[in-house]
Amino acid sequence: MRLSDVLLISSLISAPVAAEELTIVSWGGAYEAAQRQAIISPFTTETGLDIEVAVYDGSWSALAERGSAEGWDVIDMLADQASVACARGLLLEIEPSSLFSQAALQDFTPFGPDRCAVPQNAYARVMAFDDRAFAGVKPTRIGDFFDITRFPGPRAIQRSPDGILEWALLAEGVPPEQIYGLLSTERGLRLAFRKLDTIRDEIVWWDDPAEPAEMLGDGRAVMAVGFNGRFFDVAQRDRAPIDIVWDGRIIGIEVWAIAATTDVPDAARDFIVHATTPASMARFATRIPYGPTRRSAFDRIGFNPDIGLPMRAYLPNAPQHGGRVLVRDSSWYANTEELRQRRFHSWLDAAE
Amino acid sequence: MTAGPNTIPAPPLLRMLVLTGVALVVGGAASLAAIALVELVSLLNTGLLVAPKARVQWESLPLLVATTTVLVPTLGGLMVGLAHRHLSPAGRPLGPPDVIEAVQFHKPLPGLRDGVISTATAALSLGAGASVGQYGPMVYLGAIFGGFARRLRLGVPNLASIAIGCGVAAAISTAFNAPIAGVLFAHEVVLRHYATRAFAPVTVASVSGYFVANVIFERPALFRIESPGIAHGYEFVFVAALGLLVAVGAILFMRLLLSIGPTLARWITRPELRTAMAGLAVGLTALALPDVLGIGTSTLRFATIDGAFGLTEVIVLIVAKTVLTALCIAAGFSGGAFSPSLLIGSLIGVFFWIMASSIAGVPSSGAAIYAICGMMGFASAVIGAPLTCILIVFELTRNYDVTIAAMVAVVFSNLLSHRAFGRSLFDVQLARRGIDFSLGRDRARLAALKVVDHLQPEAVTANADDAPEHVANRLREQGWREAFVLDRDGKLLGVFTPGIHCDIGSVRSGAVPARLVFDDTTNLAEAMERLRSFVGDAVPVVSGESGKYLGAVSEADLVSAWLDESARLRKEENASI
Repeated sequence: MRLSDVLLISSLISAPVAAEELTIVSWGGAYEAAQRQAIISPFTTETGLDIEVAVYDGSWSALAERGSAEGWDVIDMLADQASVACARGLLLEIEPSSLFSQAALQDFTPFGPDRCAVPQNAYARVMAFDDRAFAGVKPTRIGDFFDITRFPGPRAIQRSPDGILEWALLAEGVPPEQIYGLLSTERGLRLAFRKLDTIRDEIVWWDDPAEPAEMLGDGRAVMAVGFNGRFFDVAQRDRAPIDIVWDGRIIGIEVWAIAATTDVPDAARDFIVHATTPASMARFATRIPYGPTRRSAFDRIGFNPDIGLPMRAYLPNAPQHGGRVLVRDSSWYANTEELRQRRFHSWLDAAE
Repeated sequence: MTAGPNTIPAPPLLRMLVLTGVALVVGGAASLAAIALVELVSLLNTGLLVAPKARVQWESLPLLVATTTVLVPTLGGLMVGLAHRHLSPAGRPLGPPDVIEAVQFHKPLPGLRDGVISTATAALSLGAGASVGQYGPMVYLGAIFGGFARRLRLGVPNLASIAIGCGVAAAISTAFNAPIAGVLFAHEVVLRHYATRAFAPVTVASVSGYFVANVIFERPALFRIESPGIAHGYEFVFVAALGLLVAVGAILFMRLLLSIGPTLARWITRPELRTAMAGLAVGLTALALPDVLGIGTSTLRFATIDGAFGLTEVIVLIVAKTVLTALCIAAGFSGGAFSPSLLIGSLIGVFFWIMASSIAGVPSSGAAIYAICGMMGFASAVIGAPLTCILIVFELTRNYDVTIAAMVAVVFSNLLSHRAFGRSLFDVQLARRGIDFSLGRDRARLAALKVVDHLQPEAVTANADDAPEHVANRLREQGWREAFVLDRDGKLLGVFTPGIHCDIGSVRSGAVPARLVFDDTTNLAEAMERLRSFVGDAVPVVSGESGKYLGAVSEADLVSAWLDESARLRKEENASI
């Protein structure tokens, strides 16, 4: 999702520096900038520790290859990647109950810390539309994405089965808790692709996560699948007439984890505790629309310091959005990679 | 008896406290247990590759999936059969009929050990993918917690039955996130009366079950339906017809279920092989039709999606699921008939919808409405609980139109199935054990009382050779008018009334055949019917097997036993607290 940022930043950053006190690994770009301001700087001020930030592509294999050599300590990961890394022994086990009080553990949402990882923020795959394309009634539900009679026009979709299969079944009225179970059956996949067939002629594909917002802006699409942060940037910073439909948002969770090879486990734990306080989460969420993973942090979220917008409304997991929410099932994703790609490509080929 | 109908009542305030406390504790515990059962089953489904999400991760190894599909239900069946045979004294799974029997006759439930084994085998049956339901075991599990109240001596009459009702209501309320349906189910199926003394605590228990499931654990309902409602008025006629259609399906299903059992027992004498064979049948069918495995939550969902099934596919599935469910339950798998009923009914609804909308081309509101109506029509015929089924729809959909449509389907289904089969599968199963609820609970209760328990010790008997004067003297002393004449083996020869005959040598020649004779199986309800035209002191009771005289019952004793039982029923059904 943040591949372009990652590539950009990694070209700027030179070879590894191993002798730092604490090495934090993140994604680069605006995301990392927000982390620096909201979490890392206050931690440095508080503890006096020297912090180096490295950038990686988010995969557990990068951790396996570079982690030890570059002295990685704390890593920002996607929840599913962290669970794979944890199973492979690449991460330090953290005993959540030794880091957090019982009340704090219950404050986490939608799930709490596990053996190796502490949830830190939530992003979402959402549907957005070009307001100019629909003068009257606006799309409000995922079903509208598949309704080309009421809402005609091209749809921008990632050239990948991710997310769109879930939406196809949501549009058929399947409740979120059954989506992944149904997609695990032959019949479920068949129904999802049948739904996709109904908009086949209206699909414009994208590969780079920056594209959907651009496509909405320049009229190549009237509706798009994309990530909430990207849509936010274009809509709020560039003042583009793009609105997000929160129904059916698919929430992914970012976690903090500690490399098994760390030489400063105590400092790493201190950092994670600091980074996942409601105050740190709230400071981060005011800078970039990635929601906190603790309920109590929502009450502290105020205005974005740059553009002066109240940020609570733009967070993917803000309680006031309502509608249907799907939490990305990371183990299902990990297990069905091959099947989904195969079925998706045979569906693509069937068109040609 | 403890906590039964003859308990000496405590002061009302204390009774109120006891009932509320028992309701809260039983409701909470039953709800937690029901959640634990669901979790255990889901864990087993994942581990044993029954759940689609578990199967799909081995999708690249089709041979492994096929092998487990066949082996898991087969070995599961073998273990279930062995557990029933060797670990449980009852030797069979327990379910709602046992609960109904215990509550209606204020008897203890079958032993705790039987209950625990039955619950464990239910988890195993469901976990291994047998085609059985989870609500029966949940109801029984809830009843176990209620059954503990039997040991309490807290001065509340019928506390045990009420507490069992509480456990049942909490289990249903937890399972469906439907507290109103929970209350109704406990009354409609288990308690069968609506006394405030029972209604209030059952409601409290049902709400506490809902609270535990919804507020503490925030569990989603097992089946959530969003439905747009009914688009055309004529569809109400359609759902009425669908009601009749699912009733036919339900009757066939129940008849099949009841007839397979004895046939199977003749063919395969070892019970564990019967369950293993049924499991093998499920496994082999699942190779081609994975929808038949287990509770079928995914299939139930697909039924609500337009066009998820083709016509042939849906017919094959209906037949397969009906036969396999009847087979699994009859073979001795532990589990209920309710969830499979929901599934079969919804598929019949889909079949009906395809016929109406695709074949006949009539515009309709979509498959979901017909799936829901079919599901509830079928299930209500099986469990004999129309109100519960209507309320479940209401609480799951919170949609008034859909509820009304389902109500139409449910009543038409019940109309036919009650007439042609019986009130429910449970009632017919109980009737086969000699407990007949078809004429109401009062009739069943009277039928459970045997006249042989009311023998009058002072009745006068005479040997065939006795002199008439002696017998006449004894009768005068005892204040009786008739003596029962017995032969040397103690068999009844007739009735002797002094003063009718003169000049006879022995009572034998003066004895006339008794106008009315009861035997040791005659029950109070039957006896009262036959007493209508009887005039005399007492009715002789003989052993049905040997014909030996056992004693005599006086008309007055029978009438007072009948009055006592009626009074107990009246009290139970009208008690405030």
